Amino acid sequence: MQIRDLPYPDPGVPDVRSGPRFLYWLGRNQLGGQLKSLSWGLLHQCGVAGLPLGVGLAVQAVVDGSGGRLALAAGLIALLGVAVALGDTMLHRTAVTNWITAAARVQQLLARKTAELGSALTRRVAAGEVVAVSTGDVEKIGWFVEALSRFAAAALALVVVCVGLLVYQPALGIVVAIGVPVLALAVLPLLPKATRRADVQREKAGKATELASDTVAGLRVLRGIGGEDLFLDRYRSASQEVRKAAVRSARMWSLISAIQVLLPGLLLITVVLYGARLTLDGRIAVGELVTVYSAVTLLLYPLRHVEEIAMAYSFSRPSAKRAVRVLSLERTAWAPDDTAASGGQEAPGGDLYDPATGLLAPAGRFTAVVCGDPDLAGLLAERLGGHATSDTDEEKPPSALLGGVALDDLPLITARGAVLVQDKDPVLLSGTLGELLDVPASGKVTAADALDAAQCGDVLAALAQASADSTGDPMRTRITERGRSLSGGQRQRLALARSLVTDPEVLVLDEPTSAVDSHTEARVAAGVKGLRKGRTTVVFASSPLLLDRADRVVLVHEGEVAAVGVHRELLRTDPRYRAVVTREPDEHDEHDGNTAGTAVTRARELQEIEESA
Amino acid sequence: MIGVAPPAYDPAAPESATTLPVGGPATVRTYVRELMRRHRGAFAVLVSFNAVAVVASMVGPYLLGSLVEDLANGARELHLERTAAVFAIALVVQTLFTQQMRLRAALLGEEMLADLREDFLVRSVGLPPGVLERAGTGDLLSRITTDIDRLANAMREAVPQLAIGVVWAGLLIGGLTVTAPPLALAVLVAVPVLVVGCRWYFRRAPSAYRSEAAGYAAVAAMLAETVDAGRTIEAHRLGDRRVALSQQRISQWTAWERYTLWLRSVLFPVISVTHMTILCSVLVIGGVFVLEGWISVGQLTTGALLAQMLVDPVNLILRWYDELQVAQVSLARLVGVREIEPDAGDPEVVPDGHAVRADAVRFGYRADVDVLHEVTLDVAPGTRMALVGPSGAGKSTLGRLLAGIYAPRTGEVTLGGAELSRMPAERVRTHVALVNQEHHVFVGSLRDNLLLARTGADDAELWAALGAVDADGWARALDDALDTEVGSGGHALTPAQAQQIAVDPAGARRPAHPGARRGDVPARPAGRAASGAVAGAGAGRAYGRGDRAPAAHRARRGRDRGGGERPDQRTGQPRRTGGGRRGVRGAVASWHG
Repeated sequence: MQIRDLPYPDPGVPDVRSGPRFLYWLGRNQLGGQLKSLSWGLLHQCGVAGLPLGVGLAVQAVVDGSGGRLALAAGLIALLGVAVALGDTMLHRTAVTNWITAAARVQQLLARKTAELGSALTRRVAAGEVVAVSTGDVEKIGWFVEALSRFAAAALALVVVCVGLLVYQPALGIVVAIGVPVLALAVLPLLPKATRRADVQREKAGKATELASDTVAGLRVLRGIGGEDLFLDRYRSASQEVRKAAVRSARMWSLISAIQVLLPGLLLITVVLYGARLTLDGRIAVGELVTVYSAVTLLLYPLRHVEEIAMAYSFSRPSAKRAVRVLSLERTAWAPDDTAASGGQEAPGGDLYDPATGLLAPAGRFTAVVCGDPDLAGLLAERLGGHATSDTDEEKPPSALLGGVALDDLPLITARGAVLVQDKDPVLLSGTLGELLDVPASGKVTAADALDAAQCGDVLAALAQASADSTGDPMRTRITERGRSLSGGQRQRLALARSLVTDPEVLVLDEPTSAVDSHTEARVAAGVKGLRKGRTTVVFASSPLLLDRADRVVLVHEGEVAAVGVHRELLRTDPRYRAVVTREPDEHDEHDGNTAGTAVTRARELQEIEESA
Repeated sequence: MIGVAPPAYDPAAPESATTLPVGGPATVRTYVRELMRRHRGAFAVLVSFNAVAVVASMVGPYLLGSLVEDLANGARELHLERTAAVFAIALVVQTLFTQQMRLRAALLGEEMLADLREDFLVRSVGLPPGVLERAGTGDLLSRITTDIDRLANAMREAVPQLAIGVVWAGLLIGGLTVTAPPLALAVLVAVPVLVVGCRWYFRRAPSAYRSEAAGYAAVAAMLAETVDAGRTIEAHRLGDRRVALSQQRISQWTAWERYTLWLRSVLFPVISVTHMTILCSVLVIGGVFVLEGWISVGQLTTGALLAQMLVDPVNLILRWYDELQVAQVSLARLVGVREIEPDAGDPEVVPDGHAVRADAVRFGYRADVDVLHEVTLDVAPGTRMALVGPSGAGKSTLGRLLAGIYAPRTGEVTLGGAELSRMPAERVRTHVALVNQEHHVFVGSLRDNLLLARTGADDAELWAALGAVDADGWARALDDALDTEVGSGGHALTPAQAQQIAVDPAGARRPAHPGARRGDVPARPAGRAASGAVAGAGAGRAYGRGDRAPAAHRARRGRDRGGGERPDQRTGQPRRTGGGRRGVRGAVASWHG
């Protein structure tokens, strides 16, 4: 796989039984790249290992006073130099390619999995954990997979050098051959502790960054009401914690680097003393002594790879474990019944009915649902769409029925196509307004009609003003992340417009206008009713302006339908309904008669002021 | 064709407007100098430890050189014990000083980094509210996350490592020159190749790495959004599109990876060739000199081994120089925040009393369009006032003026007779608290969130405050009560609960001189029941003296009682009305006819 061919057309089916198996799966899938990297790595390492030979030959030539052999030695070094340069560059290219292809593959697997899990994802695992896999763990996983072939090349080169030295100069070679394994393994016992400390440091740094960005995100709130000192102190202590953790980690690494100076140094001293004695006895030549010395100093390069692979493994194993945890998630705890699912591919039509509460939304009508508890309302709204994922720890709730067909038995995509549930906090995906409204839809409702019905005129004007080019076309203006540049009400109306464009058989809206002023809300209610004529619409609301527009109003109380009727009638006949909808002072206020009394008096006063104005 | 052109799409190109200044070269230089000065002691220690370690590391080649010299001259006695002792002492010194040098480098780097990030947050938090209102927090947010991260590596590693590398390389070349001056010439042979190669590379690399990093961050950002918007994506059947978008981001990122890989494919051979040229020319030039009898074979051996040691420092310098280039832009963005002048204000302007008054105020965000037309408003101390009007009527704008965030174009806004816009920002804040439309649950415990506005309140007071907004019920049900971690990553609060918490700190806060308070639609979505309780029960009880005015969009109580719809709004603009008719009770600026 070359970098230019990325992304993969299909990232494949990963082995997610365990972290190490996942790493093995990734490595096996780029066997060709690993072999290439291994070959170039061998060329590079052997080229470097050959240099001492040239140096030794040159020194010997000079000692012997031979200009011709000096030129020959220089030629050998030049030749080795070409091999080293070529091997180094190509090793880097192949290794980086392996890293990138592995990282891209994991990113693709993550993207596919998150899209597949959809609403179920954050219920199983914290959102932060998934994002952490993408931002931090992918790099470490790619690192280990890529380092494998470099390590193999270095290990082979070490063996070659030791064997070569044994052949070239057995007496000194044996000292080196014994010394090398000791050098390779000496720091390994320290590594787990060092990587653990490095992880602690990273974690603390992540927390400090989060604290800082959270503070800045809420800065306008903070500056409005004060309290910055508390946050600065918190951040300062977090920042100092990071520093302390980093220094703790640095102590470990400085110890490791000291050992990496000391042990090869001891080997060098041994080689020099023993070699000098051998030379004195005339058993080896001066040039050979220089060669062995030089070879030992250069051995440090392949030796570093032993340390690196150990580090890469200890860093990537927890990362692979986290990745596997995310990639092995399934959407539902209970397996969907395949036979039933394959049966009804066609989206059914008809009345929408929830057996759990007894809520009925007749086909083609505008039904409003009043539910005192906003959280229960959210659960009920989700259930109306089928394939609910909220209460996995409890028993599976009975499925909502559309035209008598259980939505849970339909394939997910069919159910979502038939019933669109817009939750309380719909997210505006980043992109232009045009891209935002470009969602799978029936095609019968134009974006302009939907925007009009949702009273988005002011949003269009604001976007036109902020448009990137001179055309002033709001459809081509980018909406900032999560619509942060828009007010709460504007975001809500845009989300509503997007749902209206979709034009599903059944549209369920949970508090679609809670952040919109009453004046606009009344017009939104009229707009939605007009646009959804003949289609089934269910709105969870408690605003009289919306309720008054509904064909049918259902009061759900303590998990069951308590009353059905139209707004004005229920207002007159049902005290529970009245309590929820009109927000009469409840018992709370009555205890505190004074406050309630003041409020009433004040309301009258305000009225007088308004009338007189 | 050989070579790779930079990709057309640049993910590092700013997508959102840069709303805050970016530091100029002079500011950045001043800042770096200041940083160096603050840490000069640590720098000096680092450099001297480093020098000792490097000098000790050169003892080996010298000893071998003199051994070779003696052997070549056919010496019969080598004094190996002395050699061994010197070598061993040098090794111990090198080991100890290397360990200390690594540790000092880390200490220095971490120290500087901590300084920088704390300094930046202090500056950010100290920005005048006006600047924040105007500039938004997006730009600041990207600076505190992306730029700090990029700088972290530079500060923690690049600066100390570069210092080490430069000293190291310098000492080695110095050692080479001392050993045999002609050998230093051999090093010069290799310099032109290195300089040409590096110039080519460093002209392209920093911006390419920035784009590459931005491209990689975009891949993660796409995934983060998919996770965040899971429900919306599933409801709208957008899963396949998200996968396609992710693939697009991946191909944009990898295109930059491919380009930077090409840049390194040029640089790496240059570096390798440089090292080989140095080694080769030292041996050839040195060899010829030995043959001619100008230098000894021992000098040659030492020189060749020192030349071989140059690989490490040169690689170190090149490796971290890169990082420093990338970091420079981030530093300029961070330092830019320092250039924002705090709103000066006139310390002489002191309020006399707590009455808030807007007098014939005109104001607009753009030069030619006024949002407020001659608004006059009196708010007597202790008044709770609601501002009512449709979206875009100018409620929030008027609020910002009353909080001194903006100065009116004409007319004036005063507190106790003193003009708010001329008062120093900090003084305004001790008198006026602004709770704006945003509400934010901060990462931390529930207690932290409540203490925000009133440090030092005890638990009983916090529970009372929670009770005042009807939040004590669910708060007591939490596993750790006030110690429960909330905010991003912590216990998830429902929107209604989040709002109660957001409203609460404002109530808990009691400025030294209770002046005016302004609440801008603090109780909004999710659960009319909950927000009703806030408006009805909370406002009155939490603030005892009733000095707070939550300006809710809907004063439903008043309107529903009035029955029926209000006459249509004629102009959509606020109209000047009602000035002082109700005297002390305060007038309501009503724009409903």
